[in-house]
Amino acid sequence: MIPTFRQPKLVRRALLILAIVLISVYGILGRNLRLGLDLRGGVSFILSVQWQDALNAEPADVAARLKKDPAALAAFERDVVAQTRRVLERRINAYGLSETPVQSYGSRGNELLVQLPDARDPARIRQALERRTVLEWYAVGGGPYGSRAEALADHGGLLPAGTKLLATPPGKDGRSLWYLVTTPPKVRGSDLRDARASTDAVNQPVTTFTLSQEAGARFEQYTAANIGRYSAIVLDQKILSVPVIETAIRDTGQIRGARSREEAEDLALNLRSGSLPAGVQVMQERTVEPSLGADSIRQGMRAGAAGLAAVVGFLLVYYKRAGVNATLALLLNAVLLLAALSYFDAVLTLPGIAGIILTIGMAVDSNVLIFERIREELRAGKTAPAALAAGFSKAFATLLDTHVTTVVSCGFLFLFGTPAVKGFAVTLVLGLITNLFTSVFVSRTAFDWDLNRRRGEVRLSI
Amino acid sequence: MEFFKNAKFDFLGRQWLFIGASVALMTAGLISLVAKHGPRYGIDFRGGAVMEVQWNGRPPVERIRRALSSRLADVSVLAAHDLAGSNEVLISTQASDEASRRAIEGALAGIGAEAYSIRGFESIGPQISADLRNQAFLATAGASAGMLGYLAWRYRWIYGVAAVVAVVHDTLITVGLFSLANREITLNVVAALLTLIGYSMNDTIVVFDRIRENRRLSPREPLFNLVNRSINQTLSRTVLTSGLTLLTALSLLLFGGAVLEGFALALTIGIGVGTYSSIFVASPILVAWERRTGGLQ
Repeated sequence: MIPTFRQPKLVRRALLILAIVLISVYGILGRNLRLGLDLRGGVSFILSVQWQDALNAEPADVAARLKKDPAALAAFERDVVAQTRRVLERRINAYGLSETPVQSYGSRGNELLVQLPDARDPARIRQALERRTVLEWYAVGGGPYGSRAEALADHGGLLPAGTKLLATPPGKDGRSLWYLVTTPPKVRGSDLRDARASTDAVNQPVTTFTLSQEAGARFEQYTAANIGRYSAIVLDQKILSVPVIETAIRDTGQIRGARSREEAEDLALNLRSGSLPAGVQVMQERTVEPSLGADSIRQGMRAGAAGLAAVVGFLLVYYKRAGVNATLALLLNAVLLLAALSYFDAVLTLPGIAGIILTIGMAVDSNVLIFERIREELRAGKTAPAALAAGFSKAFATLLDTHVTTVVSCGFLFLFGTPAVKGFAVTLVLGLITNLFTSVFVSRTAFDWDLNRRRGEVRLSI
Repeated sequence: MEFFKNAKFDFLGRQWLFIGASVALMTAGLISLVAKHGPRYGIDFRGGAVMEVQWNGRPPVERIRRALSSRLADVSVLAAHDLAGSNEVLISTQASDEASRRAIEGALAGIGAEAYSIRGFESIGPQISADLRNQAFLATAGASAGMLGYLAWRYRWIYGVAAVVAVVHDTLITVGLFSLANREITLNVVAALLTLIGYSMNDTIVVFDRIRENRRLSPREPLFNLVNRSINQTLSRTVLTSGLTLLTALSLLLFGGAVLEGFALALTIGIGVGTYSSIFVASPILVAWERRTGGLQ
């Protein structure tokens, strides 16, 4: 029950409201409300980690054991996804794109959400993220062959143990060349110390990599013993080049075939930040140009302002002085809601703006409900203070029900909704709470203040 | 100023007229849904890609369509204008791969002529869209069940059932109208549906609250009169609130831009239908039930 008005209590209530307003204004000015990708522009991806790739890369006996034990398999999957996430984060940092970490997404456990605010050129980013960048250097055991069948025929239909067939990407004539290589590779991606883009003797962009000390020593031994033989540099299971070993190589190699300097640089960046333990598949991609985001903000503001102006205009005409109280409550509600969003570190998105606009609707409803109730009580012959008290307390019972029902439904939106819908639900719930405060407590205080000031005069302007 | 000062409309007396209108609207929507094999889902729910392109002048929609259909299957080109005079074109395709983006970009570059800028691109694979469909369904069903539970606890279970039937009625009519108008159900539209469920529930609760209060005050009054009186007492609030929220939704529709258009449209339709249903659907159900079970007469 809301207490009937008395001077000291009234002052205390007014001071409380003032304090809350000050805290809110401080919150809005002091902390910047963060904008979501859809409002500030940027690129986001949902990636699915193909963790079975990593399982297939394990030795046959290990893979078979994992497949039999669901708990170990789940742990393996978690591990692969976590590694993938770390590599992706390193790549994103290397590209200087964002400091926000890669988040896990959805309930399947193998999906990752990558958000890159302000980023441009989604195609390049997509390639940088999708590429596994597994670099290997093999000893060549035979080839080239025109096809897989030809290579197999050359070995009597069966590959020798410890070898496999790899192909070059299709050339200008659309054909690949096949080579027999011996496994395991002499050098792997994890043996790299550094990778840089540069240009070769004929001014073509190349990516030069350097081996770690330990791998370099190993590689020097191998090359010194195999001068004159062929070796194969392989990236993501495609042979990039088949150089002849001319001298003992200590620690550097070159990757040719980049179409541009930028591509060579991207490859170097990917090599530096490590290879993905498993492939990733883009499940969702979203690009928003900053100008579109700015437009959305402008349009949202304009729609909100137009709606608010129409509503306030009507309230003032229809409820006269009480309309002023309602307007005060509405504006204060907007301030409190923005402050609450800032204090909760919420990210404002387009659905969030929709939530704010809907909160305005709910706030209007509360005020109308209370005012209509007060009018009814006045019609029934009550005095102004009595009508106020009865109107507010009776309307409050209804308001509580409507608000709790909406909160309940928001709970389900939060439980089952996508991130965007969750933002909407959070905004709406915060708005409902601030609205209950402004439309009941603040508006009541304003009414009481007014009545108190004009003591003796008991007509309400409503 | 005051509308409906002493409203004494006989709402329940003419309930069959309104129930008939509801049934007609729902049937029309359902026929359209069946004939078109379900609602027309946006790319969020069926997978695919959509590109948002802004043109400096009037977009050459026909030429874009021709250029695209020669390169890609299942492309739709939709021009959206709003009062602010922006010229947006939404190009959507069924395929969600990188190739379809390059194909659209190539086709646009081939048209030449007026200047344009690509401002947004979104592609959604089949798995994510299936997830979104599930989530949307779960959220809608869960929210309805939660509200039913709350109302059953606060009032009586028949109040909850009546309110949920009204809400289902609103959702069906809105989805049906979207199908009739051949508009897409996107994630934003589902958000609007959830919102209007909340609003419609609000309206219903305000009426039910008054019914409950009046029953306590005058337990001997026949239910038919009592419900009619309660609707009339809250009519002023119902019409004002709906009118004012409709103003907000309309301003969103008129100034909100192409991205929010579906959301605002669903909301505008839904607020209208939702107000109607709390008076003409929820209350008659309550009266009919209490009559059958011999509650207050």
